[in-house]
Amino acid sequence: MVVAEVPKLASAAEYFFKMGVEGKRFRPTVLLLMATALNVSIPQPFPSEPVDALSKELRARQQCIAEITEMIHVASLLHDDVLDDADTRRGIGSLNFVMGNKLAVLSGDFLLSRACVALASLKNTEVVSLLAKVVEHLVTGETMQMTTTSEQRCSMEYYMQKTYYKTASLISNSCKAIALLAGQTAEVAILAYEYGRNLGLAYQLIDDVLDFTGTSASLGKGSLSDIRHGIITAPILFAMEEFPQLCAVVDQGFDDPANVDLALEYLGKSRGIQRTRELAMKHANVAAEAIDSLPESDDEDVRKSRRALVDLTHRVITRTK
Amino acid sequence: MLFSRISRIQRTSFNGCGWLLSHRPDNRHQFFRSESPRSCTDSTAQKVLGCREFFSWGLPALHGFRHKIHHQSSSIVEEQEDPFSLVADELSLVANRLRSMVVAEVPKLASAAEYFFKMGVEGKRFRPTVLLLMATALNVSIPQPFPSEPVDALSKELRARQQCIAEITEMIHVASLLHDDVLDDADTRRGIGSLNFVMGNKLAVLSGDFLLSRACVALASLKNTEVVSLLAKVVEHLVTGETMQMTTTSEQRCSMEYYMQKTYYKTASLISNSCKAIALLAGQTAEVAILAYEYGRNLGLAYQLIDDVLDFTGTSASLGKGSLSDIRHGIITAPILFAMEEFPQLCAVVDQGFDDPANVDLALEYLGKSRGIQRTRELAMKHANVAAEAIDSLPESDDEDVRKSRRALVDLTHRVITRTK
Repeated sequence: MVVAEVPKLASAAEYFFKMGVEGKRFRPTVLLLMATALNVSIPQPFPSEPVDALSKELRARQQCIAEITEMIHVASLLHDDVLDDADTRRGIGSLNFVMGNKLAVLSGDFLLSRACVALASLKNTEVVSLLAKVVEHLVTGETMQMTTTSEQRCSMEYYMQKTYYKTASLISNSCKAIALLAGQTAEVAILAYEYGRNLGLAYQLIDDVLDFTGTSASLGKGSLSDIRHGIITAPILFAMEEFPQLCAVVDQGFDDPANVDLALEYLGKSRGIQRTRELAMKHANVAAEAIDSLPESDDEDVRKSRRALVDLTHRVITRTK
Repeated sequence: MLFSRISRIQRTSFNGCGWLLSHRPDNRHQFFRSESPRSCTDSTAQKVLGCREFFSWGLPALHGFRHKIHHQSSSIVEEQEDPFSLVADELSLVANRLRSMVVAEVPKLASAAEYFFKMGVEGKRFRPTVLLLMATALNVSIPQPFPSEPVDALSKELRARQQCIAEITEMIHVASLLHDDVLDDADTRRGIGSLNFVMGNKLAVLSGDFLLSRACVALASLKNTEVVSLLAKVVEHLVTGETMQMTTTSEQRCSMEYYMQKTYYKTASLISNSCKAIALLAGQTAEVAILAYEYGRNLGLAYQLIDDVLDFTGTSASLGKGSLSDIRHGIITAPILFAMEEFPQLCAVVDQGFDDPANVDLALEYLGKSRGIQRTRELAMKHANVAAEAIDSLPESDDEDVRKSRRALVDLTHRVITRTK
């Protein structure tokens, strides 16, 4: 789907999709599992052929959602990397570093436009709305991150809103799209949405913790990339509630490594890390509950997928990298 | 810098410029496009054109503009209704809605997105004008056996949906301008600082994305999947066209076919497909939709070809008085391509590039000896005629508003050709 007429554009667009650097493909995994989990079993009084064709078509459309979601995600990565002057992404040179900002911007646009065309082909305007809203959220989240005032930087509420926009909106709305394509009720669509939203939030919160702790349970072994870029995440925000003096340090910024050490010190004395884990677990549980609240099904594939989705909510919490 | 960068002229020729209304002795009113609003303040230019009324979309005189046009129109023979005045009021409605559609939560994003929609810098609004005229031109008269209220409501709803297409089209267009300016490191756009210059590349890229997403949401709200498809395709074409321009091989640079394809993608696709969308929303037949499409496509191509000529000739009929912005940026347009057919040696010059001004002079020399300019004008006229024919081929209508709009659309095909700036 990202093959383009113009050769340079083609290589740019394929850059992040070529074999080996597709990322963890977390989102498509969730979406495909959700597709199965929401499978409405169709009564089959007649030979199963036409029904199979319908199912195949539905499956193809749901797979399309997964593809569209990845295209939107990568497009936003490409544009974010232009913004952040990032050098690497997924372990290889970032596209803007390798091919220049211009081509990165264009490639992002190209992926977005292909996503739009694919979206249109689904002939479901509600789904188009949902995923268009996601693009808007991604942009809003990134802008929130770029333009935070110091007051906002210390606000947990602002942080969670930004995290929803940047991380959770894509997965939650695409889960909902999966449900809509499957012709599910509004209630089921909301459950799918809630699963995605809470899973996404849980994932991000643990991500924040790991940035401090890395593979070790103790502080400071992580990459500390967030704080070094002046991005204040949940653990620090919790720590600031216990130690208001930390706000002053945050306001000074973290270009000075001494401030980083100071912040880590406060963080260690606080319950910041633990409270973040607790919040993550809370969201993971809500996600699992959403799956459990789905209408019962006898289909073994459906039950298997649902178990897998619940399993994911555990893995998201317990992972150490 | 008086003259805007090439990629903007290439594709965005509909915007970024002011219009001058000239008082000519024969009382025919003609629109002249200026390269940049700032050039309008050049009193020499004003003298040359005999312009006394000066307006530009970039100035507060904007408000006075509509009134002036109405005043002028009333003194012309009624046959020639000014296309722009026909839809002026509706246009301001569209503009207001557009401004409210790009409001955002995050203040910086809001001001960035609104940047090009705020009063005074909306550009010539050529596209919305065409689309609103097309909407009226395709009005299907509904038989009214019963009181007209429900029918009026239906018509109003249809009109609102068609206005929405105009809004969407503008959002898509501005989004691509924002990104193009980042790509070109442009400093100005529409007479003011480009967004990337004023607020940084970051915000310009993001704002472009934001506008695009708003356009998509608005598209979806029309609940017409064919229209969604059409305009999604346009977004893809815009990107493809821009990429074609950025990554041309020397072989492609000399190809008229490549050039016309790129011009379609960059300039004509948006207007042609949105004209078609207008027709589809009106519930017209496939044949009529195709006619609307053909009008837009040929109008757009004609416009771009004359644009190419004007870049060489400017206000004078002779060469070299134009801004020569295209060729200086290494963008080879129709006149040069035609000249190359007559003088193959010109290809070698083109291959060398135009960083060296001596090459520019050389190319102009060949161009002058060739029929490049004339053939480009002829091609533009051919397209303009096809556009006019498309309108004439529309199913007959007795409605006077419909006929007026159709005349206006045909009039536009003439103005596109005869403009000299």
